[in-house]
Amino acid sequence: MPRTHLGTRIRSLRRSMGLSQKNLATTCGISPPYLNLIEHNRRGISGRTLIALAGALKVDPADLSEGMETALVDRVKKAALSAENLRVETDQTEEFTARFPGYARLIARLQDKADAQEHDFAALTDQMQNDPYFSEAIHMMLSSITTIRSTAEILSDPRGMDAGQSRKFTDNMRSEALRLSQTATDVLAHYEPSSGAATSTDISAFEALLEQHDHFLSDLEQSSVNVLQAIDAQLQMQPLSETDRAQMHASLQSYAQMAQSLPINLFLPAAKAAGFNPLRLAAEFQTNLEAIFFRLAHLPPAPDQPRFALLQVDGAGAVMYRKQLPSFALPRFGGACPLWPIYRSLAHPLRPLAAMLDMPFGERVFALSSAYPTEQASIPMPAPSESVMLATPDYALLDPALTATAPSLAVGLQCTICPRAECSARRSDYLLQS
Amino acid sequence: MSKTIAVIEDEPFIIEALQFLLEREGFVVMTHSDGAGAVEFIKSVNPDMVILDNMLPTISGMQILETVRASNTIATLPILMLTAKGQKKDRSAAEQAGASLFMTKPFANADLVANVRRMVGL
Repeated sequence: MPRTHLGTRIRSLRRSMGLSQKNLATTCGISPPYLNLIEHNRRGISGRTLIALAGALKVDPADLSEGMETALVDRVKKAALSAENLRVETDQTEEFTARFPGYARLIARLQDKADAQEHDFAALTDQMQNDPYFSEAIHMMLSSITTIRSTAEILSDPRGMDAGQSRKFTDNMRSEALRLSQTATDVLAHYEPSSGAATSTDISAFEALLEQHDHFLSDLEQSSVNVLQAIDAQLQMQPLSETDRAQMHASLQSYAQMAQSLPINLFLPAAKAAGFNPLRLAAEFQTNLEAIFFRLAHLPPAPDQPRFALLQVDGAGAVMYRKQLPSFALPRFGGACPLWPIYRSLAHPLRPLAAMLDMPFGERVFALSSAYPTEQASIPMPAPSESVMLATPDYALLDPALTATAPSLAVGLQCTICPRAECSARRSDYLLQS
Repeated sequence: MSKTIAVIEDEPFIIEALQFLLEREGFVVMTHSDGAGAVEFIKSVNPDMVILDNMLPTISGMQILETVRASNTIATLPILMLTAKGQKKDRSAAEQAGASLFMTKPFANADLVANVRRMVGL
């Protein structure tokens, strides 16, 4: 359970009730300095203290511990740090997020959009610099412009020329002007989007659809329905471009395939019996670990089962698919912390790696990753790999055999929001560093 | 005696413009429109300088420049690289390969003529 920002909530609730730290501490049987540490997120809270504090603050203990979204705080902090000249009160981000969660979500969403647009811009710049069509088109246009400019200067020269030469240069200029307009028209046509339909740039359309449905598409889970019809029905509800529609169709088909090969009515009871241990489930269903990872990340939400995040990357670390949790953010672009097992797995395909991830602000997440080759190896080149990681903060609900021997790893999310100063994997500065 | 300029350029209308401009200044202009055979053309013409485009069919202007600079007979020939590839990296690469001068397209006629006159010592 994420507790990093629990203290902020306690402080906010105490203040709203007009209680002093001393009053609340005495009521709960703890010392005021200890409460001060808790309120500043420097101490965790045992079950008894949590219950006492919740009682004194007249809230349910579960509400108290679950209200905050640590990932949301990180996203708001990132937005604040990107506005360098505004002197945003970054030391009060947690309090702001706790007091104004709606505004915090709005800021985080706008920041996500800005990130996505920045990424698109970088991608377009990269494309323009490396696109042979664009390079050739620019060369052709510059050649035409050179002829037109040079010829125009010749024709306007007061020294003059004979009529035949003048007519020849005028014809040359007309030909080049036509070629230039044709090239410009071709370039525009080449880069024109195939459809005017709206596209979502902040998150992929499939990701948005899954978020809307709590990552469980019940229409595609029913073995009796015609899967293709269900997919078409899903697609008709989406205002998508042609490219996005094709990608969405492929993603929905993958989901349907997963639902057919690991039917939820068989899988869920088996998962509960196996303590949601992917290794046991892979053996039981005689399938690969990745399939089990995806299935576990797409279960109908229920309070008595662990919540799973999922990240899938290619061999270059580019994100192919992600499912985030409120308390465990995942990057969309670029790499996350290189110490995460998902990247280490790329060097050890088909060998599951388990680790307990100690995040910088106290959260703990259990992660299991596995890489797999995407094509046949050939001498002397090994096959390229992809890697997938399943992660959950609810590791207490997992089969203890899975977590017992997992080593602890001190990791972060991304360097810019990670305060671990002495990290050997650091590749950019921590932005909050004063 | 008139100075001879070898122009290696594949755009016919640019060749016509260069030829008109330079001949009007009293130069003898010899042209070649392909990268292939360009070095042999230069050797046969024995010009006072070369105006060399970079993006040519078959062999690039940069390759021609490198070949000229590595030759025994024409290594010191003044060469003006005239190219639409005008980014810093292109200029730097041309200078490293031994271009005497680097000009980007499009150009002002007066600038081109002034540079040519200077390069042939007029």
